[in-house]
Amino acid sequence: MRLVGFYLFAAVAVLLPILFPDNYFVTVVGASAGLHVILAVGLNLLMGYAGQISLGHAAFFGMGAYTSAILTTRFAWPGLLAMAAGLLVAGVMAWLFARPILRLRGHYLAMATLGFGIIVHVIMVQAMHWTGGPDGLAGIPPLNLLGWTVEGDQQWYGVIIAAMLLTIWLSLNIVDSRMGRALRAVRGSEFAAQMMGIDTARAKTQVFVVSALFAAFAGSLFAHQQAFISPDSFNLMISVELVTMVVLGGMASTFGAACGAIALTLLHQGLVVFEDYEMLIHGGLLMVVMIFLPQGLFVGLSQGVRRVMNNSSIVLRYREIVSTKLSSSSR
Amino acid sequence: MTKPPSSLLKIEGLEQSFGGVMALAGISFQTPESLIYAIIGPNGAGKTTLFNVLCGFYQPAAGSLRLNGQELRGLPTHRIAALGIARTFQNLQLFFNMTVLENVMVGGHLRAKTGLLTAALRLPRVRREEQQLREWAKEALELCELADRAEQSASALPYGLMKRVEIARALAAKPRLLLLDEPAAGLNDTETIALRDLIQRIRATGITVLLVEHHMPLVMSVSDRLLVLDYGSVLAEGTPADIQADPRVIAAYLGGAVQYAV
Repeated sequence: MRLVGFYLFAAVAVLLPILFPDNYFVTVVGASAGLHVILAVGLNLLMGYAGQISLGHAAFFGMGAYTSAILTTRFAWPGLLAMAAGLLVAGVMAWLFARPILRLRGHYLAMATLGFGIIVHVIMVQAMHWTGGPDGLAGIPPLNLLGWTVEGDQQWYGVIIAAMLLTIWLSLNIVDSRMGRALRAVRGSEFAAQMMGIDTARAKTQVFVVSALFAAFAGSLFAHQQAFISPDSFNLMISVELVTMVVLGGMASTFGAACGAIALTLLHQGLVVFEDYEMLIHGGLLMVVMIFLPQGLFVGLSQGVRRVMNNSSIVLRYREIVSTKLSSSSR
Repeated sequence: MTKPPSSLLKIEGLEQSFGGVMALAGISFQTPESLIYAIIGPNGAGKTTLFNVLCGFYQPAAGSLRLNGQELRGLPTHRIAALGIARTFQNLQLFFNMTVLENVMVGGHLRAKTGLLTAALRLPRVRREEQQLREWAKEALELCELADRAEQSASALPYGLMKRVEIARALAAKPRLLLLDEPAAGLNDTETIALRDLIQRIRATGITVLLVEHHMPLVMSVSDRLLVLDYGSVLAEGTPADIQADPRVIAAYLGGAVQYAV
């Protein structure tokens, strides 16, 4: 019962390429959406559940991508090993950074993470010798998974969707556990959380590291899938967009964040046609959603559906019939 | 009584000041085990400050606090909680982003072990522990007569029940010492009577209750011993009967006119 939503999500993701084989939109846009889902689900653990904002999350995405890219192109490391190194780098950086920074709250935390994101971006641009500077790094070899080389849009779609489902599953497990409740408690009342024996500083550090790991995981996949990366993929706008995905979909809901990520990815694709007006429409839509569905698209809509289900006359009539049947049969 | 009851909490010479104002000016007292110990005094007497020092929210300027001989001073709040102290708050600190059951399950945090990694992988051990936490939470809800509210959002409850959820959450931690900060504030008469019964049921489970409260009929009927604070100092200490007869208490707190009448 706990994982109904997860199976539904998985079914849709698997059926799409079967129903629409060789469809550019499904495989390429779908893979891009899948990576965004990984990023948004990870950021949602930090923002939605623990209530801590990060405006520099693209930095961890970039750390995963650049570690993979540099180690595979310059040192010919195998892809999976480089990916593990990327996770390690992002995890250790997040851990070092978390202790001092998560003492801050609200705007101050936003500013500090923003600064962090900018610094990492500057390093990507300036450390030319390692990162290739603004021109980026090309020629990243395809990912090799224990002898199987991932090639082509279809295969990449499969790998990214599998990775996405893994992260959704991990996220659902975390949320619905002692530690997940501890995170939500931190957001609800830090005082009370401490009084319940929760080491709030530690809990915040841990979730910051986990969300950085999710981002680095997506980054490594992204580097191999694209075969080319440049600092543009990890700048401030990307960080802001990740926050938008979480807020748009609905905070403190794993599927909310996932839907936000998919919605924003589709929106970008849909608005490519309008070129000059893209940002205008994008911003306008966000404002409309925030005004009318402040809890986010997914959370807001699902609450709306539940309200309709609870009140509509057909549903009420149906319930009446069921309850009379049940009571008569129990006699 | 054949032998004197052992003391659970022992406070000596506790001092705390805020920018020159002595909130606690050298307080000493000890609470025996499995009793209801009330702390009363006019507003600003230092009652809530005492609670906050006990919980490690403030670091005292001087003095010592011992729970079962273990010094609490200098420990962070979550470590103090781990030693067996739980509390409720004068102004509600519920987790409004969770259901009632989840709130109380957070109370059981210290009785479980699952870390982030094992939780993420949902090992069988985690599932068993979840089940155990749920049972503990339900026991606490049962004791507080909230079992039928378990699945509701904590934010959807009436005020009186919210206060009771805080008590259930504290009980789920299975504390040795429970601090109740004005549990009757904002409750009507029926709810206050139910609260009195609840506090007595809690004592019956062997938990020592430290009660800060202004509702005198409740305090006098439920407490085994009382401590009266005034301007951060101990004014009197004793059984409810002693306190009600103490002329200093009457003058300072229960009503100055009485001492002239006597």
